[in-house]
Amino acid sequence: MPPVKGPEAEVPPEAYDTRIIDLDFHVNPAEKELIKYVEDPVAREKFESVEFGMAPRKAKWDAAWSVAGGNEGLYTQGRAEVAEDVKMAAEKFAIDDPIVNIGINNAPTQHNPVQRNAIVQAANDFTLDRIVPEGLDALMMVPQWDVEYAVEEINRVGNEDGIIGAYGWFGPFHLFGEERFDPLFEALVEHDLPLVLHGSLNFWPQDTPVGDGMITWTEQLGFDWPVHAMLTTVNMIMTGVFDKYPDLNVVMEEGGHWWLPFARYRMNEFYEMHPDDIQMVPRMHDLGKDRLDRTPSEYLRENIYVTTQPMAPPERANDFSQMLDQSMAEDTFLYSSDWPHQTLDPATWAFTNSAFDENLRNAVLHENAAELFGI
Amino acid sequence: MSENVNDESPVEDGFTRVVAADELEPGKGMGVEIDGIEVALFNVDGEFHAMSNRCPHQRAPLCKVGEKKINGDKCWNENRGGFTDKPAVTCPWHLWEIDLESGEHEASGKRIGVFDIKVEDGDVFVAI
Repeated sequence: MPPVKGPEAEVPPEAYDTRIIDLDFHVNPAEKELIKYVEDPVAREKFESVEFGMAPRKAKWDAAWSVAGGNEGLYTQGRAEVAEDVKMAAEKFAIDDPIVNIGINNAPTQHNPVQRNAIVQAANDFTLDRIVPEGLDALMMVPQWDVEYAVEEINRVGNEDGIIGAYGWFGPFHLFGEERFDPLFEALVEHDLPLVLHGSLNFWPQDTPVGDGMITWTEQLGFDWPVHAMLTTVNMIMTGVFDKYPDLNVVMEEGGHWWLPFARYRMNEFYEMHPDDIQMVPRMHDLGKDRLDRTPSEYLRENIYVTTQPMAPPERANDFSQMLDQSMAEDTFLYSSDWPHQTLDPATWAFTNSAFDENLRNAVLHENAAELFGI
Repeated sequence: MSENVNDESPVEDGFTRVVAADELEPGKGMGVEIDGIEVALFNVDGEFHAMSNRCPHQRAPLCKVGEKKINGDKCWNENRGGFTDKPAVTCPWHLWEIDLESGEHEASGKRIGVFDIKVEDGDVFVAI
Protein backbone atom coordinates (compact mmCIF):
# COMPACT_ATOMS: atom_id res chain seq x y z
CA MET A 1 0.00 0.00 0.00
CA PRO A 2 1.42 3.43 -0.84
CA PRO A 3 1.37 5.65 2.24
CA VAL A 4 -1.00 8.58 2.43
CA LYS A 5 0.91 11.66 3.58
CA GLY A 6 0.01 15.15 4.64
CA PRO A 7 -3.16 16.53 6.18
CA GLU A 8 -5.40 13.79 4.80
CA ALA A 9 -3.38 10.93 6.30
CA GLU A 10 -5.48 8.95 8.76
CA VAL A 11 -2.40 7.34 10.33
CA PRO A 12 1.32 8.19 10.35
CA PRO A 13 3.11 7.25 7.09
CA GLU A 14 5.29 4.80 9.05
CA ALA A 15 2.19 2.66 9.60
CA TYR A 16 2.37 1.66 5.95
CA ASP A 17 5.85 0.22 6.51
CA THR A 18 4.67 -2.18 9.23
CA ARG A 19 2.41 -5.16 8.75
CA ILE A 20 -0.83 -4.57 10.62
CA ILE A 21 -3.20 -7.45 11.36
CA ASP A 22 -6.58 -6.27 12.61
CA LEU A 23 -8.44 -8.77 14.78
CA ASP A 24 -11.78 -7.00 14.84
CA PHE A 25 -13.04 -5.83 11.49
CA HIS A 26 -16.81 -6.01 11.13
CA VAL A 27 -18.63 -6.81 7.94
CA ASN A 28 -22.37 -6.26 7.90
CA PRO A 29 -23.85 -7.90 4.83
CA ALA A 30 -27.12 -6.54 3.56
CA GLU A 31 -29.82 -8.55 5.35
CA LYS A 32 -31.47 -9.70 2.12
CA GLU A 33 -28.10 -11.00 0.88
CA LEU A 34 -27.38 -12.86 4.10
CA ILE A 35 -30.82 -14.42 4.26
CA LYS A 36 -30.28 -16.00 0.84
CA TYR A 37 -27.71 -18.24 2.50
CA VAL A 38 -30.13 -19.60 5.14
CA GLU A 39 -30.59 -23.27 4.20
CA ASP A 40 -33.47 -24.17 6.50
CA PRO A 41 -36.66 -23.23 4.59
CA VAL A 42 -38.69 -22.60 7.73
CA ALA A 43 -36.10 -20.27 9.19
CA ARG A 44 -35.55 -18.54 5.85
CA GLU A 45 -39.25 -17.79 5.45
CA LYS A 46 -39.27 -16.18 8.90
CA PHE A 47 -36.20 -14.10 8.10
CA GLU A 48 -37.84 -12.97 4.89
CA SER A 49 -41.03 -11.94 6.61
CA VAL A 50 -39.90 -10.81 10.06
CA GLU A 51 -37.10 -8.37 10.74
CA PHE A 52 -34.03 -9.98 12.29
CA GLY A 53 -32.97 -7.99 15.28
CA MET A 54 -33.24 -7.72 19.00
CA ALA A 55 -35.87 -10.02 20.45
CA PRO A 56 -38.82 -7.96 21.70
CA ARG A 57 -38.13 -6.83 25.23
CA LYS A 58 -38.09 -3.79 27.43
CA ALA A 59 -35.86 -1.13 25.91
CA LYS A 60 -33.58 0.09 28.65
CA TRP A 61 -30.48 1.29 26.91
CA ASP A 62 -29.39 2.45 23.52
CA ALA A 63 -25.98 3.58 22.35
CA ALA A 64 -27.72 6.36 20.45
CA TRP A 65 -28.48 8.12 23.71
CA SER A 66 -24.78 8.75 24.24
CA VAL A 67 -24.19 10.39 20.88
CA ALA A 68 -25.42 13.84 19.98
CA GLY A 69 -27.73 13.58 17.01
CA GLY A 70 -28.63 9.94 17.44
CA ASN A 71 -27.77 6.53 16.17
CA GLU A 72 -24.45 7.27 14.47
CA GLY A 73 -22.13 5.09 16.54
CA LEU A 74 -22.67 1.78 14.78
CA TYR A 75 -21.63 2.93 11.32
CA THR A 76 -19.50 5.98 12.10
CA GLN A 77 -17.02 5.03 9.37
CA GLY A 78 -19.40 3.40 6.92
CA ARG A 79 -20.70 -0.07 6.31
CA ALA A 80 -18.75 -2.91 4.68
CA GLU A 81 -21.10 -5.31 2.96
CA VAL A 82 -18.66 -7.12 0.69
CA ALA A 83 -14.94 -7.85 0.54
CA GLU A 84 -14.17 -4.88 -1.70
CA ASP A 85 -15.56 -2.51 0.94
CA VAL A 86 -13.27 -4.10 3.52
CA LYS A 87 -10.19 -3.61 1.38
CA MET A 88 -11.02 0.02 0.69
CA ALA A 89 -11.54 0.80 4.37
CA ALA A 90 -8.51 -1.14 5.56
CA GLU A 91 -6.14 0.64 3.19
CA LYS A 92 -7.14 3.99 4.61
CA PHE A 93 -5.84 2.93 8.03
CA ALA A 94 -2.79 1.00 6.77
CA ILE A 95 -4.37 -2.30 7.82
CA ASP A 96 -2.75 -5.07 5.77
CA ASP A 97 -4.75 -8.02 7.07
CA PRO A 98 -8.25 -7.30 8.32
CA ILE A 99 -9.55 -10.46 10.00
CA VAL A 100 -13.17 -10.27 9.02
CA ASN A 101 -16.07 -11.31 11.19
CA ILE A 102 -19.73 -11.24 10.24
CA GLY A 103 -20.29 -9.81 13.67
CA ILE A 104 -23.93 -10.50 14.29
CA ASN A 105 -23.57 -9.61 17.93
CA ASN A 106 -27.30 -9.70 18.53
CA ALA A 107 -27.45 -13.38 17.53
CA PRO A 108 -27.26 -14.53 21.17
CA THR A 109 -30.23 -12.29 22.02
CA GLN A 110 -32.45 -14.33 19.73
CA HIS A 111 -34.67 -16.60 21.74
CA ASN A 112 -35.55 -19.12 19.07
CA PRO A 113 -32.89 -21.85 18.66
CA VAL A 114 -33.79 -22.62 15.05
CA GLN A 115 -33.54 -18.97 14.09
CA ARG A 116 -30.20 -18.29 15.72
CA ASN A 117 -28.60 -21.51 14.47
CA ALA A 118 -29.81 -20.69 10.98
CA ILE A 119 -28.24 -17.25 10.99
CA VAL A 120 -24.91 -18.74 12.08
CA GLN A 121 -25.02 -21.22 9.21
CA ALA A 122 -25.88 -18.43 6.79
CA ALA A 123 -23.12 -16.15 8.07
CA ASN A 124 -20.54 -18.89 7.72
CA ASP A 125 -21.60 -19.73 4.19
CA PHE A 126 -21.66 -16.05 3.26
CA THR A 127 -18.12 -15.80 4.60
CA LEU A 128 -16.95 -18.78 2.57
CA ASP A 129 -18.70 -17.62 -0.57
CA ARG A 130 -18.21 -13.85 -0.52
CA ILE A 131 -15.28 -13.00 1.78
CA VAL A 132 -12.65 -15.75 1.70
CA PRO A 133 -12.47 -16.10 -2.11
CA GLU A 134 -11.51 -12.43 -2.26
CA GLY A 135 -8.29 -13.15 -0.38
CA LEU A 136 -9.41 -12.16 3.11
CA ASP A 137 -9.07 -14.26 6.24
CA ALA A 138 -12.12 -14.58 8.44
CA LEU A 139 -13.59 -15.97 11.64
CA MET A 140 -16.45 -18.44 11.49
CA MET A 141 -19.35 -17.85 13.85
CA VAL A 142 -19.68 -20.53 16.50
CA PRO A 143 -23.14 -21.14 18.03
CA GLN A 144 -21.97 -21.64 21.61
CA TRP A 145 -25.55 -21.95 22.92
CA ASP A 146 -25.84 -25.33 21.20
CA VAL A 147 -22.58 -27.20 21.69
CA GLU A 148 -23.58 -30.15 19.53
CA TYR A 149 -24.40 -27.86 16.63
CA ALA A 150 -21.30 -25.78 17.31
CA VAL A 151 -19.13 -28.88 16.88
CA GLU A 152 -21.05 -29.81 13.75
CA GLU A 153 -20.47 -26.35 12.31
CA ILE A 154 -16.76 -26.40 13.18
CA ASN A 155 -16.43 -29.77 11.46
CA ARG A 156 -18.30 -28.39 8.45
CA VAL A 157 -16.33 -25.20 7.83
CA GLY A 158 -13.40 -25.15 10.27
CA ASN A 159 -10.91 -26.65 7.84
CA GLU A 160 -11.78 -24.37 4.95
CA ASP A 161 -9.00 -22.12 3.69
CA GLY A 162 -9.35 -18.64 5.07
CA ILE A 163 -11.22 -19.69 8.21
CA ILE A 164 -8.63 -19.01 10.87
CA GLY A 165 -10.62 -18.81 14.10
CA ALA A 166 -14.04 -19.21 15.70
CA TYR A 167 -16.08 -16.19 16.78
CA GLY A 168 -18.31 -16.40 19.83
CA TRP A 169 -19.27 -14.15 22.74
CA PHE A 170 -18.50 -13.53 26.37
CA GLY A 171 -21.42 -12.20 28.35
CA PRO A 172 -24.22 -13.23 30.65
CA PHE A 173 -24.26 -16.78 29.31
CA HIS A 174 -23.18 -20.17 30.58
CA LEU A 175 -19.53 -19.75 31.50
CA PHE A 176 -17.08 -21.69 29.36
CA GLY A 177 -15.69 -23.43 32.43
CA GLU A 178 -18.71 -25.74 32.42
CA GLU A 179 -17.87 -29.22 31.19
CA ARG A 180 -20.66 -29.02 28.60
CA PHE A 181 -18.21 -27.02 26.47
CA ASP A 182 -15.49 -29.68 26.36
CA PRO A 183 -16.60 -31.08 22.99
CA LEU A 184 -16.39 -27.54 21.60
CA PHE A 185 -12.85 -27.14 22.91
CA GLU A 186 -11.86 -30.52 21.49
CA ALA A 187 -13.17 -29.51 18.07
CA LEU A 188 -11.38 -26.16 18.19
CA VAL A 189 -8.06 -27.77 19.14
CA GLU A 190 -8.50 -30.46 16.51
CA HIS A 191 -9.03 -27.82 13.84
CA ASP A 192 -6.35 -25.51 15.27
CA LEU A 193 -8.85 -22.69 15.65
CA PRO A 194 -8.42 -20.10 18.41
CA LEU A 195 -11.69 -19.16 20.13
CA VAL A 196 -12.32 -15.44 19.69
CA LEU A 197 -14.91 -14.12 22.13
CA HIS A 198 -16.46 -10.71 21.46
CA GLY A 199 -18.91 -8.71 23.54
CA SER A 200 -22.53 -9.38 22.71
CA LEU A 201 -25.58 -7.15 22.73
CA ASN A 202 -27.09 -9.06 25.63
CA PHE A 203 -25.25 -6.98 28.22
CA TRP A 204 -26.00 -7.47 31.87
CA PRO A 205 -29.36 -9.26 32.35
CA GLN A 206 -32.36 -6.98 32.52
CA ASP A 207 -34.73 -7.00 35.45
CA THR A 208 -31.81 -7.39 37.83
CA PRO A 209 -30.67 -4.57 40.10
CA VAL A 210 -27.26 -4.35 38.41
CA GLY A 211 -28.56 -4.66 34.87
CA ASP A 212 -31.24 -2.06 35.34
CA GLY A 213 -29.00 0.21 37.38
CA MET A 214 -26.52 0.86 34.60
CA ILE A 215 -27.77 3.84 32.63
CA THR A 216 -24.87 5.05 30.52
CA TRP A 217 -22.80 3.87 27.59
CA THR A 218 -19.69 4.22 29.71
CA GLU A 219 -21.04 1.67 32.18
CA GLN A 220 -22.57 -0.69 29.65
CA LEU A 221 -19.95 -0.94 26.97
CA GLY A 222 -17.02 0.43 28.93
CA PHE A 223 -17.32 -1.84 31.95
CA ASP A 224 -20.02 -4.47 31.48
CA TRP A 225 -18.01 -6.09 28.69
CA PRO A 226 -14.64 -6.06 30.52
CA VAL A 227 -16.25 -7.51 33.66
CA HIS A 228 -17.66 -10.38 31.61
CA ALA A 229 -14.38 -10.79 29.71
CA MET A 230 -12.36 -10.92 32.91
CA LEU A 231 -14.79 -13.27 34.62
CA THR A 232 -14.87 -15.56 31.58
CA THR A 233 -11.08 -15.64 31.53
CA VAL A 234 -10.68 -16.38 35.23
CA ASN A 235 -13.43 -18.99 35.07
CA MET A 236 -11.75 -20.87 32.23
CA ILE A 237 -8.40 -20.84 34.00
CA MET A 238 -9.69 -21.88 37.41
CA THR A 239 -11.90 -24.67 36.07
CA GLY A 240 -8.96 -26.34 34.39
CA VAL A 241 -9.95 -25.74 30.77
CA PHE A 242 -6.32 -25.14 29.86
CA ASP A 243 -5.10 -28.07 31.94
CA LYS A 244 -7.30 -30.35 29.87
CA TYR A 245 -6.75 -28.41 26.61
CA PRO A 246 -3.30 -26.82 26.87
CA ASP A 247 -3.29 -26.08 23.13
CA LEU A 248 -6.53 -24.09 23.29
CA ASN A 249 -6.08 -20.35 22.80
CA VAL A 250 -8.73 -17.78 23.61
CA VAL A 251 -8.96 -14.16 22.51
CA MET A 252 -11.05 -11.70 24.50
CA GLU A 253 -12.18 -9.17 21.92
CA GLU A 254 -13.32 -5.67 22.86
CA GLY A 255 -13.40 -6.69 26.50
CA GLY A 256 -10.65 -4.32 27.56
CA HIS A 257 -7.04 -5.16 28.29
CA TRP A 258 -5.85 -3.10 31.25
CA TRP A 259 -7.45 -5.59 33.64
CA LEU A 260 -4.69 -8.06 32.91
CA PRO A 261 -2.35 -6.86 35.69
CA PHE A 262 -5.24 -6.96 38.17
CA ALA A 263 -6.21 -10.51 37.19
CA ARG A 264 -2.59 -11.61 36.93
CA TYR A 265 -1.69 -10.87 40.52
CA ARG A 266 -5.09 -11.31 42.15
CA MET A 267 -5.60 -14.79 40.68
CA ASN A 268 -2.21 -15.88 42.00
CA GLU A 269 -2.86 -14.36 45.42
CA PHE A 270 -6.23 -16.02 45.88
CA TYR A 271 -5.28 -19.36 44.35
CA GLU A 272 -2.08 -19.75 46.30
CA MET A 273 -3.92 -19.02 49.55
CA HIS A 274 -7.02 -21.09 48.74
CA PRO A 275 -6.07 -23.92 46.36
CA ASP A 276 -8.06 -26.72 47.91
CA ASP A 277 -11.29 -26.27 45.98
CA ILE A 278 -9.60 -26.99 42.66
CA GLN A 279 -10.09 -30.71 43.27
CA MET A 280 -13.82 -30.06 43.56
CA VAL A 281 -14.07 -28.58 40.07
CA PRO A 282 -15.80 -31.33 38.03
CA ARG A 283 -13.31 -31.21 35.18
CA MET A 284 -10.34 -31.35 37.55
CA HIS A 285 -12.05 -34.03 39.62
CA ASP A 286 -12.46 -36.14 36.50
CA LEU A 287 -8.82 -35.60 35.64
CA GLY A 288 -7.80 -36.60 39.16
CA LYS A 289 -6.01 -33.30 39.67
CA ASP A 290 -6.00 -31.40 42.94
CA ARG A 291 -3.99 -28.42 41.71
CA LEU A 292 -3.69 -26.42 38.50
CA ASP A 293 -0.71 -27.47 36.41
CA ARG A 294 0.62 -23.94 36.40
CA THR A 295 0.40 -20.70 38.33
CA PRO A 296 -2.83 -18.95 37.20
CA SER A 297 -1.00 -15.99 35.69
CA GLU A 298 0.97 -18.32 33.43
CA TYR A 299 -2.25 -19.28 31.64
CA LEU A 300 -2.89 -15.60 31.04
CA ARG A 301 0.42 -15.31 29.25
CA GLU A 302 0.22 -18.61 27.40
CA ASN A 303 -3.44 -19.18 26.51
CA ILE A 304 -5.20 -15.81 26.69
CA TYR A 305 -4.99 -12.88 24.30
CA VAL A 306 -6.77 -9.55 24.40
CA THR A 307 -7.47 -7.04 21.67
CA THR A 308 -6.41 -3.45 22.04
CA GLN A 309 -9.40 -1.39 20.99
CA PRO A 310 -9.72 1.15 22.45
CA MET A 311 -6.18 1.40 23.73
CA ALA A 312 -7.14 4.21 26.14
CA PRO A 313 -3.54 4.97 27.08
CA PRO A 314 -2.49 7.09 30.04
CA GLU A 315 -1.14 10.56 29.27
CA ARG A 316 2.45 9.88 30.27
CA ALA A 317 4.55 7.56 28.10
CA ASN A 318 6.32 6.13 31.16
CA ASP A 319 2.99 5.16 32.70
CA PHE A 320 1.90 3.69 29.37
CA SER A 321 5.09 1.67 29.16
CA GLN A 322 4.68 0.26 32.65
CA MET A 323 1.06 -0.71 32.01
CA LEU A 324 2.04 -2.46 28.79
CA ASP A 325 4.76 -4.33 30.64
CA GLN A 326 2.48 -5.33 33.52
CA SER A 327 -0.11 -6.49 30.99
CA MET A 328 2.47 -8.71 29.28
CA ALA A 329 1.50 -6.89 26.08
CA GLU A 330 4.39 -8.31 24.10
CA ASP A 331 2.79 -11.75 24.54
CA THR A 332 -0.90 -11.01 24.98
CA PHE A 333 -1.98 -7.94 22.97
CA LEU A 334 -3.47 -8.18 19.48
CA TYR A 335 -4.24 -5.03 17.54
CA SER A 336 -7.90 -4.40 16.67
CA SER A 337 -9.59 -1.46 14.96
CA ASP A 338 -13.29 -2.26 15.49
CA TRP A 339 -14.02 -0.67 12.10
CA PRO A 340 -16.62 0.81 11.40
CA HIS A 341 -17.84 1.65 14.87
CA GLN A 342 -17.44 4.88 16.80
CA THR A 343 -14.90 3.11 19.00
CA LEU A 344 -12.58 2.82 15.98
CA ASP A 345 -8.95 2.71 17.07
CA PRO A 346 -6.35 3.32 14.36
CA ALA A 347 -2.86 2.20 15.36
CA THR A 348 -1.51 5.73 15.65
CA TRP A 349 -0.34 5.17 19.24
CA ALA A 350 2.08 2.47 18.13
CA PHE A 351 3.94 5.00 16.01
CA THR A 352 3.66 8.22 17.97
CA ASN A 353 4.16 7.09 21.58
CA SER A 354 7.62 6.29 22.91
CA ALA A 355 6.15 3.47 24.99
CA PHE A 356 6.42 1.41 21.80
CA ASP A 357 9.81 0.29 20.54
CA GLU A 358 10.09 -1.73 17.36
CA ASN A 359 9.86 -5.09 19.13
CA LEU A 360 6.69 -4.24 21.01
CA ARG A 361 5.15 -2.53 17.99
CA ASN A 362 5.73 -5.59 15.81
CA ALA A 363 4.45 -7.97 18.49
CA VAL A 364 1.20 -6.11 19.02
CA LEU A 365 0.53 -5.09 15.44
CA HIS A 366 1.23 -8.43 13.76
CA GLU A 367 3.63 -10.95 15.28
CA ASN A 368 1.34 -12.24 18.02
CA ALA A 369 -1.59 -12.58 15.65
CA ALA A 370 0.49 -14.12 12.87
CA GLU A 371 1.76 -16.80 15.20
CA LEU A 372 -1.60 -17.42 16.87
CA PHE A 373 -3.58 -17.73 13.65
CA GLY A 374 -0.83 -19.13 11.43
CA ILE A 375 -1.08 -16.35 8.89
CA MET B 1 -9.16 17.26 -0.59
CA SER B 2 -5.84 18.73 0.55
CA GLU B 3 -3.54 21.38 -0.80
CA ASN B 4 0.04 22.28 -0.12
CA VAL B 5 0.53 25.99 0.25
CA ASN B 6 3.98 26.79 -1.07
CA ASP B 7 6.33 29.55 -0.11
CA GLU B 8 5.25 31.62 -3.07
CA SER B 9 1.67 32.07 -1.83
CA PRO B 10 0.91 35.72 -1.22
CA VAL B 11 1.35 36.74 2.41
CA GLU B 12 -0.06 40.04 3.62
CA ASP B 13 -0.43 41.16 7.22
CA GLY B 14 0.43 37.65 8.34
CA PHE B 15 -2.30 36.12 6.20
CA THR B 16 -1.45 33.46 3.61
CA ARG B 17 -3.67 32.72 0.66
CA VAL B 18 -4.64 29.08 0.87
CA VAL B 19 -7.39 28.38 -1.63
CA ALA B 20 -10.10 29.91 -3.78
CA ALA B 21 -13.28 30.12 -1.71
CA ASP B 22 -15.35 28.26 -4.26
CA GLU B 23 -13.05 25.23 -4.05
CA LEU B 24 -14.29 24.41 -0.56
CA GLU B 25 -17.90 23.27 -0.63
CA PRO B 26 -20.29 23.99 2.24
CA GLY B 27 -20.30 21.14 4.75
CA LYS B 28 -16.82 20.01 3.79
CA GLY B 29 -13.29 20.28 5.07
CA MET B 30 -9.95 20.73 3.36
CA GLY B 31 -6.42 20.22 4.62
CA VAL B 32 -3.50 22.51 3.84
CA GLU B 33 0.03 22.88 5.15
CA ILE B 34 1.28 26.34 5.97
CA ASP B 35 4.89 26.61 7.02
CA GLY B 36 4.83 22.91 7.80
CA ILE B 37 1.74 23.21 10.00
CA GLU B 38 -1.32 21.13 9.09
CA VAL B 39 -4.39 23.32 9.00
CA ALA B 40 -7.99 22.21 8.52
CA LEU B 41 -10.29 24.59 6.66
CA PHE B 42 -14.04 24.32 6.99
CA ASN B 43 -16.93 25.83 5.12
CA VAL B 44 -19.93 25.86 7.45
CA ASP B 45 -22.84 27.22 5.47
CA GLY B 46 -20.63 29.84 3.88
CA GLU B 47 -18.73 30.74 7.06
CA PHE B 48 -15.06 29.76 6.85
CA HIS B 49 -13.07 28.47 9.80
CA ALA B 50 -9.49 27.28 10.28
CA MET B 51 -7.98 25.21 13.05
CA SER B 52 -5.24 22.72 13.73
CA ASN B 53 -5.88 19.65 11.59
CA ARG B 54 -5.33 16.99 14.24
CA CYS B 55 -8.05 16.14 16.73
CA PRO B 56 -6.79 16.46 20.33
CA HIS B 57 -8.16 13.01 21.09
CA GLN B 58 -6.22 10.66 18.80
CA ARG B 59 -4.85 12.84 15.99
CA ALA B 60 -7.62 12.16 13.49
CA PRO B 61 -7.46 14.41 10.40
CA LEU B 62 -10.27 16.89 11.00
CA CYS B 63 -10.03 18.09 7.40
CA LYS B 64 -11.75 14.89 6.33
CA VAL B 65 -15.01 15.92 7.92
CA GLY B 66 -17.85 15.51 5.47
CA GLU B 67 -16.15 12.73 3.51
CA LYS B 68 -18.66 10.26 2.10
CA LYS B 69 -18.71 6.95 3.94
CA ILE B 70 -18.45 3.55 2.31
CA ASN B 71 -22.08 2.66 1.59
CA GLY B 72 -23.01 5.90 3.31
CA ASP B 73 -26.55 5.66 1.97
CA LYS B 74 -27.04 2.68 4.29
CA CYS B 75 -25.79 4.48 7.41
CA TRP B 76 -27.50 6.89 9.77
CA ASN B 77 -25.48 9.75 8.27
CA GLU B 78 -23.95 9.59 4.81
CA ASN B 79 -20.77 11.45 5.69
CA ARG B 80 -18.01 11.07 8.28
CA GLY B 81 -18.35 13.62 11.05
CA GLY B 82 -20.02 16.95 10.41
CA PHE B 83 -20.83 20.30 11.94
CA THR B 84 -23.12 21.37 14.76
CA ASP B 85 -24.94 24.63 15.33
CA LYS B 86 -22.56 25.70 18.11
CA PRO B 87 -20.65 25.94 15.68
CA ALA B 88 -18.41 22.92 16.20
CA VAL B 89 -16.76 20.39 13.96
CA THR B 90 -17.53 16.76 14.72
CA CYS B 91 -14.45 14.58 14.31
CA PRO B 92 -14.68 11.96 11.55
CA TRP B 93 -13.29 9.23 13.82
CA HIS B 94 -15.07 9.45 17.19
CA LEU B 95 -17.48 12.36 16.82
CA TRP B 96 -15.67 14.54 19.34
CA GLU B 97 -17.17 18.02 19.02
CA ILE B 98 -14.50 20.70 18.74
CA ASP B 99 -15.69 24.29 19.14
CA LEU B 100 -14.73 26.19 15.99
CA GLU B 101 -14.25 29.46 17.87
CA SER B 102 -12.19 28.23 20.82
CA GLY B 103 -10.76 24.90 19.59
CA GLU B 104 -12.00 23.31 22.81
CA HIS B 105 -13.55 19.90 23.34
CA GLU B 106 -15.89 20.59 26.20
CA ALA B 107 -16.12 17.12 27.80
CA SER B 108 -12.34 16.63 28.07
CA GLY B 109 -11.19 20.23 28.30
CA LYS B 110 -8.62 19.51 25.60
CA ARG B 111 -7.97 22.30 23.14
CA ILE B 112 -6.32 22.77 19.74
CA GLY B 113 -5.29 25.92 17.91
CA VAL B 114 -7.70 28.01 15.89
CA PHE B 115 -6.52 30.46 13.28
CA ASP B 116 -7.79 33.75 11.93
CA ILE B 117 -9.30 33.35 8.51
CA LYS B 118 -10.73 35.82 5.98
CA VAL B 119 -12.14 35.76 2.49
CA GLU B 120 -11.18 38.55 0.10
CA ASP B 121 -11.88 38.76 -3.61
CA GLY B 122 -12.90 35.12 -3.71
CA ASP B 123 -9.77 33.82 -2.00
CA VAL B 124 -9.37 32.35 1.48
CA PHE B 125 -6.52 33.66 3.67
CA VAL B 126 -5.30 32.14 6.95
CA ALA B 127 -2.98 33.66 9.56
CA ILE B 128 -0.76 31.22 11.45
